[in-house]
Amino acid sequence: MSSYFTRAKDDLAYNERVFVEGKGHFVDDIIKPGALHMSIVRSPYARAKILSIKGGMSSKDLGARMASVGEGAMEGKNSVIQPVFATGYVNYVGEAVAAVFADDRYKSEDMLDSVEVEYEPMKPVVSIEEALSSPPIHQGLRSNIISEGWRGKEFPDPASPIVLEDVFMNRRIATNPIEPRGIVADYDGKMLNVWISTQSVHSIKEGLCEALGLGPDSVRVMQADTGGAFGSKGGLYPEYVIASYAAMKYHRPVKWIETRMEHLSSTSHGRGAKGIVKIFAERSGRITGLKGEVIVDAGAYGAGMGEFASRFIATMMTGPYMIENAHVKSTSVLTNKVTLGPYRGAGRPEASFFIERMVDKLADELKVDPVDLRIINSSESKFRSPLGMEIDAARPFLDQAVKELDYRRKAKSTKNIGFSFFVLVPAFAPGETARVRVDGGKVSVWVGGNSHGQAHEVFVRKLVNEELGVPENLVTLYRGDTGMLKDGVGAWGSRSAMVGGAAVISACRKLKEEVTMKFGKYSVQSMLSGAFDVYVNEEQKGSLNSFGANLATVDIGKLGSVKVRECAAYYDVGRALNMDMVIGQIQGGMAQGIGQTLHEEMAFNEDGQLLTASISDAGVPLAEDIPNFEVKVAQNPSYLPHGAKGLGESPTIGVPTALARAIEKASGKRIRETPIRPEHIL
Amino acid sequence: MENIKIRSRVNGKDIESEVEPRKLLVHYIREDLGLTGTHVGCDTSNCGACTVLVDGKAVKSCTMLAVQADGREITTIEGLSRQGKLHPIQEAFLEKHGLQCGYCTSGMIMTSFWLLRKNRNPTEEEIRKNLSGNLCRCTGYQSIVDSITYASKLMRAHETEKEGIMVEQ
Repeated sequence: MSSYFTRAKDDLAYNERVFVEGKGHFVDDIIKPGALHMSIVRSPYARAKILSIKGGMSSKDLGARMASVGEGAMEGKNSVIQPVFATGYVNYVGEAVAAVFADDRYKSEDMLDSVEVEYEPMKPVVSIEEALSSPPIHQGLRSNIISEGWRGKEFPDPASPIVLEDVFMNRRIATNPIEPRGIVADYDGKMLNVWISTQSVHSIKEGLCEALGLGPDSVRVMQADTGGAFGSKGGLYPEYVIASYAAMKYHRPVKWIETRMEHLSSTSHGRGAKGIVKIFAERSGRITGLKGEVIVDAGAYGAGMGEFASRFIATMMTGPYMIENAHVKSTSVLTNKVTLGPYRGAGRPEASFFIERMVDKLADELKVDPVDLRIINSSESKFRSPLGMEIDAARPFLDQAVKELDYRRKAKSTKNIGFSFFVLVPAFAPGETARVRVDGGKVSVWVGGNSHGQAHEVFVRKLVNEELGVPENLVTLYRGDTGMLKDGVGAWGSRSAMVGGAAVISACRKLKEEVTMKFGKYSVQSMLSGAFDVYVNEEQKGSLNSFGANLATVDIGKLGSVKVRECAAYYDVGRALNMDMVIGQIQGGMAQGIGQTLHEEMAFNEDGQLLTASISDAGVPLAEDIPNFEVKVAQNPSYLPHGAKGLGESPTIGVPTALARAIEKASGKRIRETPIRPEHIL
Repeated sequence: MENIKIRSRVNGKDIESEVEPRKLLVHYIREDLGLTGTHVGCDTSNCGACTVLVDGKAVKSCTMLAVQADGREITTIEGLSRQGKLHPIQEAFLEKHGLQCGYCTSGMIMTSFWLLRKNRNPTEEEIRKNLSGNLCRCTGYQSIVDSITYASKLMRAHETEKEGIMVEQ
């Protein structure tokens, strides 16, 4: 009898085996006997004075302050550190005010009503403009500006005949992984054990140690299967500190699982950046100078990447183009909103939106093809931008992209077409750690950053196989665990296959040396017969580039609805360690790029109230909203031993700009912001 | 309020439980029965991560109370495979990489099961339309659409063999 049902494939990597059978181990799947469920009393006001709190655990019980850790965090340098529990004042809708604990989630939600909080509402600061013109939202500050600086050098206006200026906005959006945040904390009297949905167990551990004043030997953080993150699960949040503290106080395991509404109100948002850009250009199309300003809506505290984001965006404002003069001001301001954090791309899409929109505007001004303008401004050789980016020779890639995406032919057949060009500078530094252990004829691996959907095990097994000759089915990548790997960075900034992969290779080579030393020569059999355990911290300095280009065509309906007809990508991914995984990353990111451009926004009213109340309101795209993507890749290897480059963030950089241009052409209306609403194009 | 006794057939087994009247079916499945393959993603019945089959139809188990499952037959993701062997839809999601983080996967597969029961050979457009109640943030849906198309092919290839297309026996 041929089988309708087929044998499960034991040899596949973890992610390819467990999830289709519902056998994953997400944090909410961890059921501990005697556990308390935690619920959080949250601020209903964007800004208010707390007059009294009756009931629950609050700042009088736990006066700790947050620690700034993870992607884009300015460790120890933030000017306005968030208290774990709101102290004296609340500063955004959804801020944690008190916590309650009960035997199950229903009872703990019931208990929310038992906490009485008396507020005296205050006028909130909601927009960037209000932040710049209003007194500071926190006492003791001189203004709402929490970081300010310049990139590049001041230069006199070039005597170029064309001067264009415009203002752009990428509105805030929620990351919305389908699995919300969550934690289980358990204290055995000596060790605080934490299971968590995260991009970095090491950041969480460091943050908990700092916030709770614990030594590194008394905290162990273990990653549960992580159901998406997209930037929002890299750092510490108040709930993690509260649950850990409660586990230690009550000597019972404490579980907290975020509701979707909590995710929208209380998990870092991304984007939220305004760009003011002026470019100077010759009639030939050559851009001779760029002046601008980036202002980031950092939210109520200096956590996440709010302080750093404006400077990071400013650095990338000339995009992949050879522009000799540039001077950009960067400012981050406090508002009465949840803190700003990274969202896939984390500053790169914003910078790209600002420069690409200006290049398209210049093309219209000069009445030339926007792709020709991009070619004119691309360099044949590598160079350092005046804002501080190291950029490889862009022109050869761009020429190839125009061919691969069949731009010339398509531009003849439709006017509703957009083409974007960008350079992704991934989070290369400071490198990553890896541990490779051989025991009992098997190879176990730990890497500082781990999967929240990218299938790290697939590339780890391949690289270990290539380096050591071990069959892939004998290699296991374990989830992040600070008990098994002493330190590490995390999975963000398009870095894992690149720097995590390089660390695994380095560990394998060290291990190979040890095997050779012990047995005289290396063989797989001799290695597997022994026991070895190596750790490396593979540091990386400098930076790497990944170029990319996108093409989009659209139709616009009578009511202003946009139908994405075609969405294509051509990206340099370095050496693809697994082509299926590469394509999957790109397709997923392209859908997020469409989401940001057409649907996604976390909207606030003038009182700072969140108007977005569900994952659907937030605009996460449906299958129906998304076309089939055409994805092509170039594999120009990097100088790393395995040739990998960063790619995860490419699509969220390149899709919004191509799509915005296609919509601009189709509607005849200048596009200056995302999301693009029907009222912008009718 | 007093707990209420319910009897249901879950993944082919008769089960009797006492549940709080307000308990959602998804929490009953996950916490009382320990079948944690069914997930909660949104609380507003938008995302479909909690999709199970109730009397053979795809239902978002966060929209039903456990007491409403009294006398009904429930199939969860854990009930789809047979003695460690994968259902063709599971096989197809593996083959075509219809998942990344794995969180929406159970719901996607259960919705696919219901779709392929109604329509043995759906077009891409029909598949995308039928997934409007299931959100995926990782894949961009293309590999999921490919998985379902492939599953329909696998299932049709076996139809003639009369090997029990139905999950329920």
